[in-house]
Amino acid sequence: MKNNKPNPLTLLGRRLKNTSRKLTFRPKEAATPASADGATMNAAPLLSDKIKTTINKLTVQTKNVRTYTLFDGTTVLEPFSKTPLIFLILGTLSVISWNVTNINLFYLFSRFSNFFDILWRMTSPRWSYFSTAIGPMLDTIQMSFLGSLIGALLALPVAFLSASNITKNRFVLGSTRFMLSLIRTLPVLVYAAILTLAFGFGVFAGTIAIILFTFGILSKMMYENIETVDLGAYGAIEATGASKPKAFVTAIFPQIMPSYLSYSLYSFEINIRYAAILGYVGAGGIGLLFDDRMAWRRYQDVAILIIMLFVVVFTIENISRYLRKRLS
Amino acid sequence: MIKFDKVGKTYPNGTVALKEVSLEINQGEFVAIIGLSGAGKSTLIKLINKMHGVTKGTLTVNDTVVNAELKGKHLRAFRRRIGMVFQSFNLIGRTSVIRNVLAARVAEMNFIQSLFGLYSKDDKIKALEALDKVGILEKAYTRAEQLSGGQQQRVALARTIAQDPSIILADEPVASLDPITANQVMKDFARVNKDLNMTVIANMHHVDMALKYAKRVIGIRDGVIVYDGPSSEVNESLLKEIYGRDITDEDIMFKDDEEQQA
Amino acid sequence: MEKKLTVKEMLDKQPKHHLTIVLTILILGSMTLWSMAAISIPSTNEGGITIIRSILRSLADPNRDWLFTLRPIGIPRQMFETVSIAFLGTILGAILALPLAFVSSRNITGRLYSFIGILSVTLIRTFPVFVLGLMFVRVTGPGPFAGVMTIGLASIGMMTKLYVESIEDIDKGVIEALDATGANTLQKIRYGIIPQLSANFISNSIYRFEINVRNATILGLVGAGGIGSTLIWAMSAYRWKDAAAALWGIIIVVLVIEFISTRIRRKLASSD
Repeated sequence: MKNNKPNPLTLLGRRLKNTSRKLTFRPKEAATPASADGATMNAAPLLSDKIKTTINKLTVQTKNVRTYTLFDGTTVLEPFSKTPLIFLILGTLSVISWNVTNINLFYLFSRFSNFFDILWRMTSPRWSYFSTAIGPMLDTIQMSFLGSLIGALLALPVAFLSASNITKNRFVLGSTRFMLSLIRTLPVLVYAAILTLAFGFGVFAGTIAIILFTFGILSKMMYENIETVDLGAYGAIEATGASKPKAFVTAIFPQIMPSYLSYSLYSFEINIRYAAILGYVGAGGIGLLFDDRMAWRRYQDVAILIIMLFVVVFTIENISRYLRKRLS
Repeated sequence: MIKFDKVGKTYPNGTVALKEVSLEINQGEFVAIIGLSGAGKSTLIKLINKMHGVTKGTLTVNDTVVNAELKGKHLRAFRRRIGMVFQSFNLIGRTSVIRNVLAARVAEMNFIQSLFGLYSKDDKIKALEALDKVGILEKAYTRAEQLSGGQQQRVALARTIAQDPSIILADEPVASLDPITANQVMKDFARVNKDLNMTVIANMHHVDMALKYAKRVIGIRDGVIVYDGPSSEVNESLLKEIYGRDITDEDIMFKDDEEQQA
Repeated sequence: MEKKLTVKEMLDKQPKHHLTIVLTILILGSMTLWSMAAISIPSTNEGGITIIRSILRSLADPNRDWLFTLRPIGIPRQMFETVSIAFLGTILGAILALPLAFVSSRNITGRLYSFIGILSVTLIRTFPVFVLGLMFVRVTGPGPFAGVMTIGLASIGMMTKLYVESIEDIDKGVIEALDATGANTLQKIRYGIIPQLSANFISNSIYRFEINVRNATILGLVGAGGIGSTLIWAMSAYRWKDAAAALWGIIIVVLVIEFISTRIRRKLASSD
């Protein structure tokens, strides 16, 4: 199979064509004033070119936007490179953030031993804690499973409402999308904190929080997917005399089912880890134990919690990955 | 029997697709409609199963008057007896061939059954028989998107057959296929027309295919019928009248005589 | 002569999904029932509904004084601090994740070592964000500094995973071609590897930044700086208007950042 390897230089050329910036080629005859496609040089440089040249001067590059002249007189202009500018912006932002967050490296290095001290103590877990921790761990799994399930079920119809090729009513489309992005902005923990105030401490609040979270991210993923669906089959089935709902489930559902199931499994993966945190604000599950054990500095117990969580997460992630591969 | 009685179609935006059309098509005929794009071919066909509504005159299909009152349950029952084949096949790519054909039976099932795809054994046999008639029985469990264009169109035809229609409408059925495959598909249409006595009305972009397979040709120009007669009598001057210009290569499927032999 | 299949034979050849479907339904069903058993719906107490109603009401009328001021207690300042925490944390995480990712990629270190790498990264990822937060608070004391370190460490997990995906996708052909032109190792990295990875790296980092802004808002809960502390304080004191102000601050900033980030990432995806 490999006996027809193309010339490596061709490969290089092909790949570089995809990765490099677009070069501008200007033929030599372009001494005449502007032609329709702008492939000629103007005598007076535009303001935008002047700005670009100035920025290039200030940053690392050479004085002008570089010009190369080829052997046949064609001139090639290397385009303005954005990279130095980006580094400059990032650098400035970093300096600002540095000051705002009061980073003190000296302090960090002198006290870092505390961190490792904690880690060291975690390396000898107290296995007897397992029996106390298993209950909340199971709670966490139940919470995230139910939350993911309900969230996923709710997300599908709403996703259809936010898909521009299904919902033609602009008002419905716009308001659903807006509501969805609002729901997505708040972190799960905030929802959990609010819900514990309303529904008291315990797994119920956590489940609702997970439902909200799953609903938010899954509906976005799904409506982006629904918009890529082929509606031709839908029209064809309608033409056979099927009612709209029947045509819908026959023609459109099969197209989105695989990704729906795949994304739902993926959400479940994410939710397990979030569910573990929710207990911190009292929404049930293993988070409560984390809070408690950390406060008492019982790092050996914390270690057990981490191990349990690790095993669960690892298992679920792998099962999910396997199932998702099968789905596509 | 299909009867157009001074039928006209004007779209809401003002475009006049059909000015005044009168014709009769009997059960079991194989009719090809030819003409320039935009002359009204597509509209004529889509009026028959009420994908578009008639704005003038009367259209009667098998004793049912196709007008604004035909809607809801009655429209659906009406459409069940009319099959349609599209230029872009309109199959469900990720599903198997047989499920695509079974989709034709959905109209007869209730919602729950269609939601879960619970087809009866009779339905499955019907679908397999339809696939057999178009000659791709062995591909029944293959994913539809894995088939070639010609095979996909045959699946679409099988889907139509599984409906048990009395009329088959075809909107440019072979326009996206290569000449050899197009021939095969048109032969399937001809066979279905002869063996099952289903009326076939096909919109054809390619004049030579139309003349080769259809017994009757209807030429449309600017929204009116300019020719309605046997395909054997169609000659170049007639075609010029229908198209309003000379026939170019674009209008012919087979550019060389050799391909014609396939 | 090819033997043509009959319809009856095809009917018998049906792929039989029944077992899989029944199994799936059983598993899902039992998991659902099991989960539901643990979740008891509390008798919705009057207090709960009232609280939700007050929160919703105050969302419409937040503490404007806090929302529109530049004083240290004001929301804008706090959100700025939160975003800075997220920003530096993302950079830290992105930098730390690079070497880890190279170690964990199958095409660089082989199956065994990469598996170990991925395992360790999964281990790091298991630490809940706020546990890391608490740990760093012990090191640096409460405040935004702890937040930066936490976000940094917490980002490593996801960034490494995304980096590994890009690295394992590298087209070896480019490296070979560069070899053929006589490039040395440094040049091969600069011209062969980096261009292929940079667009993805940047896109991933921006995506992670989005997520980190949300995480940074939470960190305040454990005392690692940012708007979280204000939010939780206001909520425990039942000061809904102040809490609403904090919530609005979060909502606006997250929306803006999400918008900008989606735009940039779309440009990155389309231009290269």
